[in-house]
Amino acid sequence: MESNHGTQAIAAVVTGLATSVFLLFIAAPVAGLVGAGGLAGLRDLGSDAELRQSLILTALCATGATALGVLGGTPLAYLLARRRFAGKAMVAAIVDLPLVIPHPVAGIALLLVLGRQSPAGQALATLGLRIVGAPGGIICAMLFVSAPLFVGAAREAFARVDARYESVARTLGDSAWRAARRVTLPLASRGLVAASIVMWARAISEFGAIVILTYNPKVASVLAYDRFLSFGLNEAIPAAAVLVLLALVPLIALRALHTSAE
Amino acid sequence: MSPASRAAPAARSVPRPDEAAAAAAVGSPMLSVVGLSARQGSFTLRNVSFDVQHGAYGILIGPAGAGKTTLLEAIAGVIPVREGAVVIGGRVMTHVAPDRRGLSLVYQHAYLFPHLTVRRNIEYGAATPEAAREMSDRFGLEPLAGRDVRTLSGGERQLVALARGLTRRPGLLLLDEPFAALDQRTRNAARRVLRVIHQEQGFTVLHVSHDFSEVGLLGDVAVLLDRGRVLQAGPPDVMFREPASAYVADFLGAENVFAGRAAPIRALGPDWSAARGDAVEEHAVAFTTGAITLYALGDAVPGPAHAVIRAEEVALSLEPGSSSVRNQFRGTVMEFAPAGAITRVTVDVQGTPVVAAVTSRSVQELGLEVGRPVVVAFKAMAVHIC
Repeated sequence: MESNHGTQAIAAVVTGLATSVFLLFIAAPVAGLVGAGGLAGLRDLGSDAELRQSLILTALCATGATALGVLGGTPLAYLLARRRFAGKAMVAAIVDLPLVIPHPVAGIALLLVLGRQSPAGQALATLGLRIVGAPGGIICAMLFVSAPLFVGAAREAFARVDARYESVARTLGDSAWRAARRVTLPLASRGLVAASIVMWARAISEFGAIVILTYNPKVASVLAYDRFLSFGLNEAIPAAAVLVLLALVPLIALRALHTSAE
Repeated sequence: MSPASRAAPAARSVPRPDEAAAAAAVGSPMLSVVGLSARQGSFTLRNVSFDVQHGAYGILIGPAGAGKTTLLEAIAGVIPVREGAVVIGGRVMTHVAPDRRGLSLVYQHAYLFPHLTVRRNIEYGAATPEAAREMSDRFGLEPLAGRDVRTLSGGERQLVALARGLTRRPGLLLLDEPFAALDQRTRNAARRVLRVIHQEQGFTVLHVSHDFSEVGLLGDVAVLLDRGRVLQAGPPDVMFREPASAYVADFLGAENVFAGRAAPIRALGPDWSAARGDAVEEHAVAFTTGAITLYALGDAVPGPAHAVIRAEEVALSLEPGSSSVRNQFRGTVMEFAPAGAITRVTVDVQGTPVVAAVTSRSVQELGLEVGRPVVVAFKAMAVHIC
């Protein structure tokens, strides 16, 4: 009994210590960065047009990529959550593929398919759509790396809606598509909003794939990297800190969404 | 309710339950389930067959986990059928989309759409808003019309679900324990409303219940399902009197189910004629259980069997009567279970407990008490051998 209590106490101490170290490991660099450059970064937003523009570009491209991801990913997520079909496991694996490949590799792959020499790139060019070295490239890179997060979370959101709601709607005269639109979609909407916030957050923090496709114009992450390489750590801090503050926006939005649900 | 209603027993004779066979079998039933197999998760329905006639009220009963809801979902078309056929209104519907089957499905847990108000829920499948309003009126739901469905009580939710299912004017109404969440008073009222609407509109019902009293109250046809199979199907009174097995009898609440041996008696003495009444059976059966032998009418295969006697058929007296009652035994009172006007008295007859349901008044009049000697009596006709 005595030793049992002792073991429990030791386990509690070890768990507490490990948790604290882990949290500190994550929080300290971020807090340090914001502490060192947050105020300067916010102040620079007024004077530093390049920083300001890169933040706007980042937010706009992430919004564009998220919109495309929601449009294309929602039906896919629904199918993965609700239907059985041949090759479903394969489709799910393809969707998850960007999560496991290094992001510069993803950038190279996209460049190969969408670059000026590729048939797709040429076709897009004749339509007047520039991908490489343009905001289009940023959106493509963001979409590629962050869409799996949307599809995964949206699939979960659909799966959480009891399929029997849809069954009831079907027997009340709805076609499969109509039941999905009138019942499942509204019931999953909160989860879908959360999924798109997660996707947006992932998109604004992308660097590796973007830097291959579109170095200029620079998104915030590329700008921070560029300033670090060109001018050193101190010059990079404000841009980096501002990007952290931007990333806090979706985090807070998610929190608010959860709170309003409860 | 339609007197013509009946159910075909679980057809052992359906050799290859394919759709051609089903189409050929199309006659007057509104719903024919032919050799249906379906799977839901790890649960499997196997070779389920029965009919419900046009306008009849069918009750699907069985213990929890029997597959009742799965069967309703297969009929509704919201889960796929692996084998067999579902024929509704003479059309093979096995692979027809649920919205084209002309039916409504009302689940036990209502599944009201939480993002819609009570009114919008009821209107969901309605042809016109007026039809929805009328139905909501009939179930007394108009005062709740503007409410968020998440604020309703369990009983209110169930009534809204029922009204929603009916506004579509379905040809076939599938109900999954629709009264389970209702208190006794509301339940009786809801049953009354449903019965009236059923008679007015003449649709066909398949109603899932685990409560056999609902079969007697509502059903024209009863289907007993257990572990994915149909154990018995037919008019409720027949199922009640002549259960297909001891298990069925037990499930249907028969208090006296005895295991023993049956031995047919071929040559009946003249004294049997009185006991037979107007029954046409030619044979009698002697059934031995424990230390007693009792008599039943009809045919039975010699050997191990079960005897079923409903407690209502057992009479108690202080002295043996001289009547035509074949089965009379002396015993002692073991136990009383009063339930309002009726008391169930368990009598020890030479080691075999026999339960009699008698009025509480006659318990008093006979001065029954535990340990008191009594005579139990029941007619040979009341004994069902299975």
